[in-house]
Amino acid sequence: MSLYESKTQQPPKNGLLLLQGLILLLFCIFALRFWYLQIHKGEYFSEQARNNQLRQDSLYAPRGLIRDRNGELLAVNEPAYALGIVREDCKDLDATLKTVSQWTGVDLAKLKKVFKKSRRRVKPFEPLILVPNLTFEQVAVIEANSLHWPGLEVVVRPRRKYLQGPLLSHVLGYVSEVDEAELENDSELAVGDYVGKQGLEYVLEKRFRGVKGRRQSEVDATGRRLKQRILNPPAAGEDIDLSIDLGLQELGGKLLEGKAGAVVVMNPDNGQILAFVSAPSYDNNAFTDGLSQKEWVALRDDPRTPLQNRVIQSVYPPGSVFKMTIAGAGLYYGMVKPEDTVYCPGHMQLGKYVFRCWKKGGHGETGLEKSLVESCDVYYYKLGKKLGVDRMSEYALAAGYGKPTGIALPHEKSGLIPTRKWKKRRYGEIWHPGENLNFSIGQGYTLVTPLQVARSISSLINGGRLLRPQLLAGEPAEEQGVLPINEKQREIIRNAMIETVDGPRGTARRLRMKGVVVGGKTGTAQVVKLTDELKKMKDEDIPYKYRDHAWMASFAEKGTERYVVVCMVEHGLHGSSGAGPVVKAIYDYIFKEKKEKK
Amino acid sequence: MSPIDRRLLIHMNWFLLGLAAMLFFVGVLNLYSASGFRLEQGMSVSSFYQKQLIWGLMGFAGMITFMLFDYRHLRTIAWPLFWVTVILLACVPVIGKTIYGARRWLDLGFFNFQPSEMAKITILVIGAKILSRSSDPLNIKNLAYVVGVGLIPAGMVISQPDLGSGLNILLILGGMILYRGLTPKLFKTLAVVGPCLIPLGWLFMHDYQKRRVISFMNPASDPLGAGYHIIQSEIAIGSGRVWGKGFLGGTQSQLRFLPEKHTDFAIAVFGEEWGFAGAMALLSLFCVFLYQMVVTAREAKDLFGSYLAAGVFFYFFWQILINMGMVLGLMPVVGIPLPFISYGGSGTVVNLCLVGLVLNVSMRRYVFKQG
Repeated sequence: MSLYESKTQQPPKNGLLLLQGLILLLFCIFALRFWYLQIHKGEYFSEQARNNQLRQDSLYAPRGLIRDRNGELLAVNEPAYALGIVREDCKDLDATLKTVSQWTGVDLAKLKKVFKKSRRRVKPFEPLILVPNLTFEQVAVIEANSLHWPGLEVVVRPRRKYLQGPLLSHVLGYVSEVDEAELENDSELAVGDYVGKQGLEYVLEKRFRGVKGRRQSEVDATGRRLKQRILNPPAAGEDIDLSIDLGLQELGGKLLEGKAGAVVVMNPDNGQILAFVSAPSYDNNAFTDGLSQKEWVALRDDPRTPLQNRVIQSVYPPGSVFKMTIAGAGLYYGMVKPEDTVYCPGHMQLGKYVFRCWKKGGHGETGLEKSLVESCDVYYYKLGKKLGVDRMSEYALAAGYGKPTGIALPHEKSGLIPTRKWKKRRYGEIWHPGENLNFSIGQGYTLVTPLQVARSISSLINGGRLLRPQLLAGEPAEEQGVLPINEKQREIIRNAMIETVDGPRGTARRLRMKGVVVGGKTGTAQVVKLTDELKKMKDEDIPYKYRDHAWMASFAEKGTERYVVVCMVEHGLHGSSGAGPVVKAIYDYIFKEKKEKK
Repeated sequence: MSPIDRRLLIHMNWFLLGLAAMLFFVGVLNLYSASGFRLEQGMSVSSFYQKQLIWGLMGFAGMITFMLFDYRHLRTIAWPLFWVTVILLACVPVIGKTIYGARRWLDLGFFNFQPSEMAKITILVIGAKILSRSSDPLNIKNLAYVVGVGLIPAGMVISQPDLGSGLNILLILGGMILYRGLTPKLFKTLAVVGPCLIPLGWLFMHDYQKRRVISFMNPASDPLGAGYHIIQSEIAIGSGRVWGKGFLGGTQSQLRFLPEKHTDFAIAVFGEEWGFAGAMALLSLFCVFLYQMVVTAREAKDLFGSYLAAGVFFYFFWQILINMGMVLGLMPVVGIPLPFISYGGSGTVVNLCLVGLVLNVSMRRYVFKQG
């Protein structure tokens, strides 16, 4: 058949109709579909497109700053980089988590746990914090690879920084990542937030926290932010000035370096705390990003107990520091007159037991003032026997012992003032007369905190007011009770304390200062019942844990300026030599160096 | 004869040429927008539209080439063409190049040649040759013969594996068979047996193909996986509403929510930016374009030309149907581009060449003899 000799045949009629029918069908199907998508459901899909494109997230509010009374910064915020994951943008979760684990060195199982725990609380389009703290190297790696791993995002947020670290840990406490229970109870919190866990950070959490802002961003499919609009700017938390004097605090910290103990400097007229030192301490910055289990256990089980806040959480027998309280009780109940004397032969016999005075040879004829100045034990044995446990404990409670001072810090201990009832409940035994004698010299069951001692001393010189210890600058004095004794009686004790410093036989002579009225009282609190073996030993031979605790309770006045300083050194042996130099150095600073600086 | 015979030009289907050119330029314009994406500062447009223009120039050159010779020569070389195609397809598994896990390309040094594209043209020609022998409805014997011939290249393409192109070849041939028509008895039998064969297809599908079908049935089952394409595509088109978001205004595409926006999902970008109005205009353009092929098929000098035009009709028809069906969420996701609108080098060239073939048929509708 030749190329051009095709028969003139008609193309298939039905076929042509079929083709035209198909065109019509094509048009109808897709016209209908376009109508359905664009007109019928246009609004719905527009909304969906907006949801795709616009995303809201939180802007972290900086936590309120903390300053000392002179405006020195104590706690600030610094930018920290956290790794967040946006579930909605994350294409392959398992691979992403694996990569994160590789980049950050965090165990994959742990990442998975964090993710699983948090996913319920984080919206799918908001970053879920996987790793709270990234190093600069890690940030660089993540930023460089972020295109390949949609859904991963470096979140910049303010993180707490304590400029002085351990020095103020027991006052400021610390923040760390919010836990499950806190999230449950506080709807303002989100996974990965920092929240106050200890100290003032815990107590003043709501004031420090501030309010998070909202930001709306246009994002692309990889979660990259293009345009941003701030809907609500974040509101920073409240800045708070403390009553603490940083210089004084630093000095206190230095003085207690290598020791275990506490120093409190208080203004007796308003209860403001100027220094609050507990040694040894810990670095509160370490808590911000969480300690590892190992680090935590090491810190918790450290035999030096750095986590213990020795100002308010450690309770010690007060020893002779308690004699002012017993003297007060004696005066209050009229069991003793200032001019009455008692003969101290160096011991006192009660039944078959012998109670010794610290001074073997005895103090001879001893009046109230001398009993305090020279810290005669026998005087108080006799007074204690006369007063009995009921009066002594009633007065001690009124003097602020046996219950928390109410300072704005968590976990404060009450200490212990024994009563008959307490003994019965605790030991199932009646109160023995001999225990009155121990009670009277601050031994036995009695336990106090250094802060209680400071408040009690304050009440002796501020008109008998028991003031709540305050940590915030400018807070008005809050009276919690009144010392039962009158002004004359307080004056007797106060003068005795001054004589303890000024008198030739006073036990606190080392506090003497020119131009400053200083009163003090030493205390040496037995840690264990003295065995004969220990008694014979020289001080430096006694094993550390058997050594006595050293107390120094003091006040100083110069014009209208008044301070109460209480120092307690664990196992410091003697009040005067163990705690005295610390107190002296503080007064030197307050009345000399500080003045010179100005 | 001189290639520029006045009569040839007069009889040419200029309308079809104009429509193809319009579709091509709509495609380039859309591509300009589709290849742009928003950055922190302003927009970035990648060079896809420029490449597409270059491919287009090559395509128009190819189109002219396809118009120069008398299409009836194709009937003579139909069988040699067929066997060359089969041999090339047979070479693919042996010396072919593997890209994206499938062995579909022959490396010709200067460019990668895809024999499966050639097979589509071959099937048009061989189909037209066999079917144009008579205009009676096909009986079972003839049907078996045509289908048997078509299955050779189709089966080879499917085994590459390239299910899309293989089915495309069968669909083009199937369309041409329907154009010719079947005997009523045969038609009834196929109407009963055909649907029963569909479940069998499931057994031959790859896992990723099964996943696409499942996610098509229920896109929400895997919103970030296989269903993602469909969901984002529907959002893009739907959010265009009546008048669209305007040229370069599509957030779905420019923020990269829409995947494959410059290739398979290009029409979603168009729908987002030009709205229902634009979509209707484009759809109408396609329909008139297809209709012009029907016109040529009707006016063709001979049955061979008519079948060629019908074959080209089906070549475009199936692609439009499948691509738009997929993008509009009426069909599972199959990687088939939309002619002229989707970016694609060899696709554009082949499209324009085939338009040239129809123009060839239309030009020579009154020519009997030539010197």
